[in-house]
This record gives sequence, C-alpha cells and structure tokens, in this order.
Amino acid sequence: MGIRGSCAVIGYGETQFAKLKDSAGRTNYSEQCLAAKAAIADAGIDKDEIDGLISIVPLDQKSSWTMDLSEYLQLNVKFMDNMYFGGASGNAAILYSAAAIQAGLCSTVLLVGGSVLDTSMVYEFGMEDSIPFEHDFDTIYGPMIDNSAYALIKQRYMYEFGARQEQFAKVVQNARYHAARFPNALLKKEVHVEDVLASRMICDPLHLFEIVMPCTGACALILTSAERARELANPPVYLLGGGQAIDRGMWHPAYGRSGSLTTSPVREAARQAYAMAGLGIKDMDFLQLYDCYTITVVISLEDVGCCENGKGAEFVEKTDLTYNGELPVNTDGGQLGRGQSYGGGHFVHAVEAVRQLMGRAGDLQVPDARFGLVNGNGGSMANECTLIFGNEVPKGGVL
Amino acid sequence: MTAEGKPVPDILPDTREYWEAASRGELLVQTCCSCGSKQYFPRLLCHRCLSEDLGWTKSSGMGTVYSYTVIHQAAHQTFAPDVPYVYAIIELDEGVRMISNVVNTDVSKVHIGMKVKVFFHRLSDTISIPRFEPVQQADTE
Ligand SMILES: [Zn+2]
Repeated sequence: MGIRGSCAVIGYGETQFAKLKDSAGRTNYSEQCLAAKAAIADAGIDKDEIDGLISIVPLDQKSSWTMDLSEYLQLNVKFMDNMYFGGASGNAAILYSAAAIQAGLCSTVLLVGGSVLDTSMVYEFGMEDSIPFEHDFDTIYGPMIDNSAYALIKQRYMYEFGARQEQFAKVVQNARYHAARFPNALLKKEVHVEDVLASRMICDPLHLFEIVMPCTGACALILTSAERARELANPPVYLLGGGQAIDRGMWHPAYGRSGSLTTSPVREAARQAYAMAGLGIKDMDFLQLYDCYTITVVISLEDVGCCENGKGAEFVEKTDLTYNGELPVNTDGGQLGRGQSYGGGHFVHAVEAVRQLMGRAGDLQVPDARFGLVNGNGGSMANECTLIFGNEVPKGGVL
Repeated sequence: MTAEGKPVPDILPDTREYWEAASRGELLVQTCCSCGSKQYFPRLLCHRCLSEDLGWTKSSGMGTVYSYTVIHQAAHQTFAPDVPYVYAIIELDEGVRMISNVVNTDVSKVHIGMKVKVFFHRLSDTISIPRFEPVQQADTE
C-alpha cells in the first residue's frame, strides 16, 4: 500500500486576509486557532478526533511553536512537526501527514499556517539576523531579500529566451481577474497587462504588481484516512500523488547556484507526483501554482509539463488561464491576487484545490473538476513539493 | 557605494584566509586538494567529496555578469542612499559564481554577459569587500 488514495482532505478553513494596518487585535494565535476552528467545523468532526498537528512557525515565534499551539488548543496529538521549507512547507506537511496516517502513527492531522507579520521585520531578519555565510557573502551586497533573488531568475530567463514583460504581466492579470471575484481576496481591483507594466519598478525586471503583497491571514486543512473521510458529510478530496525535490543553491543566493537558473526542481517533484498518481498533465483540470512572483508561475508551468523550457511566457500569453478557460490556473487569485500571508500562503493553494474538488468554488468553479495539481515553492525556486488531488481515486491500481 | 552603517562581514575560522586576502587585494577561491573542485564561498569541507583538505586558488579577478537586478527600493535603510544599484551573480573566470555588486558604471549599461573585474572596497584595516566594475578596453589588450 502506498499513499495514493489512502488519505483525503475532509475540511478547510481560512481567516480574513487583511493588510497589516487593518489587523488590529489579531495575533499569530488568533490566526492559526481561528483557521483551525473553521476547518474542524467544516470537516464536521470533534476536536478530540485530531491526533496529529503540523503547523508553520510564524517568523517571530520560537521553534517550539507547534507545541505552544497544541497546548493552547488543548489538542491530544501523537504526531507533530514544524515545517520550515519556505513555501513548499504546506504541501510537504500534507505529504508527510499522509505517510504518517498510512503508517499508522496517527489518524487525523490538523495542518495550519498563518500569521500577523510586520513586513519591516522581515527585512530586519534578512539584514541583521541572517546566518553567517548569508550575512557575509550576500547581505553585505544589499539584496532586497526574495525580491532580488527572483529578479535574478527573471532577468536570466528573459535573456535566455527573449521573453517579454507583457507575457509576465498576463500572469498578474489572470490572478487579479480571479481575485476580483473571490470573496477572501485582498486585491479586489482587476488590473490588466498595461497596468502591470505601468506599476513601479522595484527590482528590475520585477514590477510592483508582479510581487506578492504581504498580509495577515491563515489557512488550515484536515487530512484523515480515506475510510474515515467517506463517513463524513464533505466529499473526500483524495491525495493521489506527491513528490519533493531540492536544488543545490538558491535557498540562499550566496551559493550562486552552479546549474541553470531557468529550470527548477518542480520538474522532478511533479514527475514523482504524476508517477504516484498514475496521471499526467493532460488529466489535470486546473493547476494551483505557488505564485510569489510572476516568474515562479512561468517556470512552474514549464516544469509541470505544460510546455518545454523557455516557452512558459509564450504559453501564458496564448492560453486562457481563467477558471472556465483552457487551463485554469490559481482560480482564487493565488497569492498575487489574494495577498501573501506568511504561513497561510503555504496552504492557500491546497485549500483552493480542495474547494474546487469539493465543488464549492461558487462563481469561480472549474466545470467538472476531477483532478488538480498544487505546487509549493520554497527559497528562490530551490525546493519544491508537488501534490495531485482528486475527488475520485482513478482505476489503475494502487501503486 | 557608501560604507555608512552597512553590514560588515565577520571574520570566522572558515573564512579568515579569504578576508585576509581580500584585505591585500586578492580574491581567493577555495579549491579541494582531494577532488579539485572549486567552491564559493569558503566552507569547512568540500561540497562535492566532503574532504577537509582544502586549498586556495588566486582568482584572476575577471568575470562575467551571469544575472543581475537593478534595485530601486532598498530593503535596508543603509542601502537607501545607493539606489538604484546593481546586485548581481558574477561568474568568475575560474568557474564559480558569487553574489556581488557592479559599480562604477551607469546601471543602465549593465547587462548579462558583461565582462567585469574585481576591485576591493576598503572598509577598515582588516576588511575589504570585493565588488566588480566593467572591464575597460585597456584592460583587455
Ligand atoms: Zn572535493
């Protein structure tokens, strides 16, 4: 028996995404606890049924956060972990939880991330608290944290493939089209390619609108065995495949990456996920791709198999990526449309996949959605975790 | 670039020789005595074969811009007076890549493939930071 089809998501929850200035009275505890409460209610289970917990440590909390949260919620868990793989953490948490459930270590896992984050603090972390080699071989040259790292990737991509700014801007247009129609999105105003190109240049070639806006918010999911899931009210959303891959050298730009900047470990992570699921890109009814920046989406599209390396920008330009288009991508607006909550963003793409596969996406419902892919990306495309979900387990035998 | 208040590298056991050389105006690339592989930045052991028997290759100081960004909004106030400035990956002629700045040129002139050479920005008696500037015609003759 493997992971394929052995576990399912049975419920999800979110808190209201908000700008920092509109976050009075909210704390890291309020975010993670209230998202968890919403997910438990949605799943229709008793809190005491939860015997596993994986949470994302807010940047300003101690590494003991999962224990702190477990005690605060008075959970009785026998499987727990923190995750710190950046934006790949959420998917990795789901995959590891499935393995734990399958192995009998626990039966029902609460997965939660989210925070209230003062962004000026992020920069303080970057400049003053960085680890020695990062400080001495990167920070001294004045990086703008992740913005400058992704700008290096985008610049190289444009150089190697002749990709144009308008093509990247279409990624934002698509995100904001969905966000304008999604209830819990922060950026409700639709923007078009020309608006993106007119937005301020932050780290050339990255414009302001190509960069996620940090925000307050949290997301939670509950994963249990397929057998238990079938007893509950929500339609089970099965985990069909998962894979993870790490590259050597863009978690910290100080390493400089010895290989290509324009391909990513998404390729290997997706390959593993497809192999486990027994499915391919053609079977996917939608993609939820980690979208901290436009370039992340372009390279991820290539590496999950939509097109060959170097053709992603053109693919974006020529493909209708809206919820009822040829290939729906980031149907809730993604992080570029919804805002990026630190920790909440680690799960936001998986939550949207589940929402679609439960048929609860309302005005943004992908017609007849059966299978969807979710990618989580950490560092500067350094580590990736790809998952495939479905509202059925396709025939073809358990791998 | 100004030096005012900016982060200054700490001299640590693994990197002492590197910074001492920089202070003399030399750029060192750590080289494995076991397998010959080169690595930037200096570490305790070889990233390829894990040997602790490591030596140094003196870099020619010549390199190429592998990628870069022009930063228009500094993350940290101490870099604010420098905007717009170039933060780049430099591929040294010895084959390793490093993060640095390209300075002493108009930021709009910087491009991928641009030939650059190292110079040392002296901060104190013990610390000089390697940065890069465009190779002038005279240098290539
Ligand atoms: Zn070696």
